[in-house]
Amino acid sequence: MRLTGFPLLAACSLLCAFSASAARRPHYGGTLHVEMRAAPTSLDPADSDRPDWFGFRNLSSLIFETLVSLDEQGKPVPALATSWQAEPGNQRWQFLVRHGISFQDGTPVTADVVAASLRRTNPTWKVFSEGEAVVVERDSAAGNLPAELALWRNSIAKRDNGKIAGTGPFAVSQWDPGKKLLLTARDDYWNGRTFLDTIEIEMNRNFREQMISFDLGKAQLIEVAADQIHRARAEGRHVESSAPVELITLVFGHDPQSPDDGRQRQALALSIDRELLNTVVVQGGGEPAGGLLPNWMTGYSFLFPASINLELARQVRSEIPHTTSWTLGYDPADFTARAIAERIVLNARDAGLRMQTTSTNSADVRIVRIPLISLDPQIALAEVAAGLGLAQPKVTSTSIDDLYAVENRLLQSQRVIPLLHLRAAYAVSNTVKNWTTARDGNWRLPDVWLGAEKP
Amino acid sequence: MPGANHNAVYNSPIPHMRVSSSRSTRVGCLFALMLMRAPILLASDWLIPEQQLARKIVGATGPGAVALDVMNRSSLSHAEVEEIRRGLSAELGAVGVRLVNADQAAVTVRVTFSENLQNYVWVAEVRQGNNEASVVMVAIPRSSPANVEHSTAALTIHKTLLWMDEDRMLDVAFVTGSPQHMIVLETGSVELFKLQDGRWQHEGSLPVMHSHTRPRDLRGRLILRKDRLFDAYLPGVFCRSSTTAPLALTCYESDDPWPLGTEQSGLSAFFSPSRNFFTGVLSPGIEKQTTVKAFYTAAMLPRDKYKLWIFATVDGQVHLLDGISDQTPAKLNWGSDIASVRSGCGLGWQVLVTGNGESAAETVRAFEIADREPVAVSQPAEFNGSVTALWSDSDGTGAIAVSQNSETGRYEAYRLSIACGL
Repeated sequence: MRLTGFPLLAACSLLCAFSASAARRPHYGGTLHVEMRAAPTSLDPADSDRPDWFGFRNLSSLIFETLVSLDEQGKPVPALATSWQAEPGNQRWQFLVRHGISFQDGTPVTADVVAASLRRTNPTWKVFSEGEAVVVERDSAAGNLPAELALWRNSIAKRDNGKIAGTGPFAVSQWDPGKKLLLTARDDYWNGRTFLDTIEIEMNRNFREQMISFDLGKAQLIEVAADQIHRARAEGRHVESSAPVELITLVFGHDPQSPDDGRQRQALALSIDRELLNTVVVQGGGEPAGGLLPNWMTGYSFLFPASINLELARQVRSEIPHTTSWTLGYDPADFTARAIAERIVLNARDAGLRMQTTSTNSADVRIVRIPLISLDPQIALAEVAAGLGLAQPKVTSTSIDDLYAVENRLLQSQRVIPLLHLRAAYAVSNTVKNWTTARDGNWRLPDVWLGAEKP
Repeated sequence: MPGANHNAVYNSPIPHMRVSSSRSTRVGCLFALMLMRAPILLASDWLIPEQQLARKIVGATGPGAVALDVMNRSSLSHAEVEEIRRGLSAELGAVGVRLVNADQAAVTVRVTFSENLQNYVWVAEVRQGNNEASVVMVAIPRSSPANVEHSTAALTIHKTLLWMDEDRMLDVAFVTGSPQHMIVLETGSVELFKLQDGRWQHEGSLPVMHSHTRPRDLRGRLILRKDRLFDAYLPGVFCRSSTTAPLALTCYESDDPWPLGTEQSGLSAFFSPSRNFFTGVLSPGIEKQTTVKAFYTAAMLPRDKYKLWIFATVDGQVHLLDGISDQTPAKLNWGSDIASVRSGCGLGWQVLVTGNGESAAETVRAFEIADREPVAVSQPAEFNGSVTALWSDSDGTGAIAVSQNSETGRYEAYRLSIACGL
């Protein structure tokens, strides 16, 4: 736009006292049909007795929001809090709560309610309101508190007589615990009414059932197992996948009991052919893992060896006078874990180690899946350590060197042998427009809209 | 790396939070960037991390003969890696390290250029004899590469980058004069800039006050006025700038129709207050035609005795209205955004049209409508991300396009003009 010689702005400069990725615009309306494996019986993000499935996290984000969220680079950005400040020492933090937001039941979001919500999730924190701000006081320095508050378990919820409400873009219209959830768009959502009118989510559907529904056109968004990504694409489905965001690892029940125990664990780690696990067992649905966190998150994970070294494994084995026969446990409902376990037993035998698989709980070493639940590597590492029952890492600064040192110490403990980092994947119908899979596997459903399917 | 607020201090602003002073640094020397079109990280940017890594390496090796090996696992180009390798070698020499071949060295250093979400991570593994390697590393914040622009054709669309911003820009108005001024309509404010020494200097910010819940895919339009500086239209909200200095902005809830095309077009239309489209009700109308299907954008092509109006309707069709008939050309596969431009080339006027999303890149292309069938008259001009706004500018000689860079996430405002010939 151009206007020549307009005098007001020139005067103002002296006097003013201010000292959709598609080219077609989004359509509003329609119902998105989703299926997922998770079968949560509670929608409360603070419930600690449920696994942190990707599905549940994605579900939760439609109903609840956090004070802070992380952008694609893992940097904290405002969500329900508009700004935050820390006192020197990073023990006392103040978060200013956004104005004009209401819960799905119509009640306004206040600092009091936010503080109560955070206290419920974090009983050891001191959280209270101070005017329009929420103050969090920690026992020790918490330089990463904003990123920690971006974890979904810290979603802000109003709990009242057994009812729970969030501030998210959708309100619960129908809830059949563990089976079905119907969400309806909120016209008064503070961050812009979503394009979708409703989302219908069928739960407790295994991968096969989901795929059938997808192929029949009954579902427009389903989960795809990492080991099925390649096949699903080859069969013509549109599959979107995240960066590798789920760790599959071996976890020992205790620290090494002797130097020989440590050497035997070292020999096992060296004997595992992770490349084969990735290419054959999970069909390229992930990456071999030498560290707990993937390289895209840290930049240094290539330092942790992930290659098989059978020669060295045998050499280390030969230094152990008496090896122990280990049992390798896995979740019997997890076919991928079972296939991995069987392959590891073969690898171990090649190195002269004795192992046998078991689906019982009493195993010497277990295959564990654990999602990386934050884009912040420090938070993600702490959560992985907690999830695996390892000592909580103490990172004294935010430098990359310190993070490396802490992760290295966790690995040196020989409690864990990382195997793979798997991708989260979803099959998405052609009718779903503007779909993006975030690097961490999170959905961006508020920006999705429905179009007519192409012939 | 994590850790925003490493040096958090009570009452200090959060680094990423929006503050007025940050605006001038946000884009800094935009004109210089436009002219140079060079990577933002220049050679000198590597100097400090080269020095840091060299110091860390010598801390592990001590001065003496060292064999250096370099590996790239990052998005750095081969040329950049070579440049850094040379710089690092020089810095190592400056701290007493003599680089030699591997067979002459007691110490080998492998430097790997890696990266994570926010940083380049340069890792040095230092091996002395059979000892376990010691590891040192530095992290360097990553910047986004500059945008590369290319377009060619019969008529040529010229893109001129006006502004980049983290926040969504809805429209930009360009006020010529001395000095030149620019007005940027964002989701929550109108930002004012003055061109000084080749740089846009931030002059002020006028908040767009409203109590209206904003729709997603928020749209808005700036209209320059003669009796005041400008009007701003947003869904359900109308803002008017003051007529006297100091400049102020008065906003109120309103369903007043938005002007279509240029101010001289003489046609307005009602915009849905809670959606992203015009309802289809026109004011005053095109001759006797007062309604059209709900539409996203409209463009006007003047004819000898009438005006041909083109509407990109919500159902994906294109409607041509001339005051009498409403025609729908055969499937055009146009996108949702169109704007007319008076170029003086070809038939004199063209319509700029966004692509329909089927090609890999987001594009804007020029069309002419001689009869009733649109004909492409330019090669598509490519954008680095989706075009979120396309409006004719005030005098109709160009258009403002806003796109969201798919790599950086930032919004980029361009002025599009059409040049005759290739």
